[in-house]
Amino acid sequence: MRENFKELWRFRELLFAMVERELRIRYKNSSLGFLWSLLNPLVTVAVMWFVFRFLLGNQTDNYSAYILAAYLPFMFFNMSLMDSAQSVIASLPVVKKVYFPREILPLSAVIANFIHLCLALVVFFVFLFAVWATTGFQVAPFTWKIAYLPLLLIPYLALVTGLALLISAYNVFYEDVKYILSVALYLLFFVTPIMYFSETVYYALKNRPNGQLIYTLYHLNPVSMMSTAFRKALVPPGKIEVIDNGVSTMIGPRPFDYGLFAVTVVASFALLFYGYHTFNRMKWRFVERP
Amino acid sequence: MSKVAISVREIKKSFALSHSGAASLKTALLWWKKKRIEKLEVLRGVSFDVSHGECVALVGRNGAGKSTLLSLLSNIYKPTSGSIEIDGKIAPLLELGAGFHPDLTGLENILFNGMILGLTRKEVMERTPAIVDFAELHNHIDSPVRTYSSGMQARLGFAIAVHVDADILIVDEVLAVGDYAFEKKCYDYIADFRAKGGTILFVSHNPDSVRKVADRCIWLAAGEVKMDGLVEDVLTAYQAAGDER
Ligand SMILES: Nc1ncnc2c1ncn2[C@@H]1O[C@H](COP(=O)(O)OP(=O)(O)O)[C@@H](O)[C@H]1O
Ligand SMILES: [Mg+2]
Repeated sequence: MRENFKELWRFRELLFAMVERELRIRYKNSSLGFLWSLLNPLVTVAVMWFVFRFLLGNQTDNYSAYILAAYLPFMFFNMSLMDSAQSVIASLPVVKKVYFPREILPLSAVIANFIHLCLALVVFFVFLFAVWATTGFQVAPFTWKIAYLPLLLIPYLALVTGLALLISAYNVFYEDVKYILSVALYLLFFVTPIMYFSETVYYALKNRPNGQLIYTLYHLNPVSMMSTAFRKALVPPGKIEVIDNGVSTMIGPRPFDYGLFAVTVVASFALLFYGYHTFNRMKWRFVERP
Repeated sequence: MSKVAISVREIKKSFALSHSGAASLKTALLWWKKKRIEKLEVLRGVSFDVSHGECVALVGRNGAGKSTLLSLLSNIYKPTSGSIEIDGKIAPLLELGAGFHPDLTGLENILFNGMILGLTRKEVMERTPAIVDFAELHNHIDSPVRTYSSGMQARLGFAIAVHVDADILIVDEVLAVGDYAFEKKCYDYIADFRAKGGTILFVSHNPDSVRKVADRCIWLAAGEVKMDGLVEDVLTAYQAAGDER
């Protein structure tokens, strides 16, 4: 693993150039292109807001900020894995003719999406300030908990990178991996607190037999845990509307479960090591693919 | 200068042979049931040395394993067994389009290929005008490489490879596709490269070009070195074997 890492370091300039190219293609060589690329999340959030706030009448404070805080990281997860699944197989003709560390392909896909996430978060803060201004400067746009953001982004990046390495390698040999992936990502969206809140889940499960166990299992999904964590860090706590015992109530956010979060962090780094190891084991056979 | 540039010892390479074509999880499951993995032994113990400043031609029939051998030297494959030692910086040109991304422009491909071949970004930028000049592609350099003819791709590939200050050039059947003028330019460059002490290992099906540039010739047949020696001797034997069939 040390050797492989040294080799990767030797080719870092190539990695940076590939990241730059991915971003340039995505933004079509213009800074307006970046804003265009934010259209998808903004429209999605607007529709979700319309459905939940307007049609279903959910009264949660600052609903759109809550959605964005979970949806932007989820989009990073989604796009990184979709892009990296294709990364090696799409470059196979090049891989067959020149040598460079093959992990550069999935890594550049992940890093480009990560930079995109960071830029999108900057826009998210602008959005928070805009909300703050339009609501008469009442609740502060964010709290000191924003300082936790790097501590969330780093394990999340590790998680995504580990999965990206695994998926990109397996997709070379089994072309149905990317179809399974797209279905899995679609379903993941529903079992992750993005349109709704982990609090909603908590109150729905509270009085059920094994409710606590199911709630814990639910948060053993690292994406769910991260989604909840991003909300805690990015959005100031407001009242959330949940159904408790069949009655609609406004409650404050539930306390953060550091134990479960620690599990996610450990699992993310374990996955990164496992993914890197597996990729390095498989990468010499990419060119020999039948 | 007496130290060898390329040292190949008892190289063996086999590929897993598949009859099913495209891979999928389904075929993987079926495979597991059958447990039938056929191996194709492409190289069966190849050994030779190339000294610094030597120019060696590799000949042999299609499927003899020449491209596989060059790919092994270029670090594309790992050998099944045996060892390869290379002293110096190597620039491989394996077939047409030598690792170009078809959707990128000529300029972008110069950047990526230059960096893959070990230049820094700055160095590539400095050399780009010279590369474009050498390849004579001024009008096409901003178009995607998929729009290039095979000769244009070969020109660009060769132009990059000769501008990365490599000590060892590895060329697989590339030079035959350029036009006459470019071919001449390549041979002029090769003469120049050799005069500066560069090492070349190349595959060619053209006996004239082998005679013109090589000092030594290796004949590869069915994954083994059949003959290794003076150009004239090896070519005569190789052509005689071809005439017999
Ligand atoms: N990735 C691969 N998988 C299976 N067989 C391969 C692979 N690459 C090459 N071969 C086989 O190896 C043999 C030698 O190929 P090659 O080295 O390209 O020959 P040459 O360049 O001398 O014509 C051929 O029979 C070819 O089918
Ligand atoms: Mg060949």
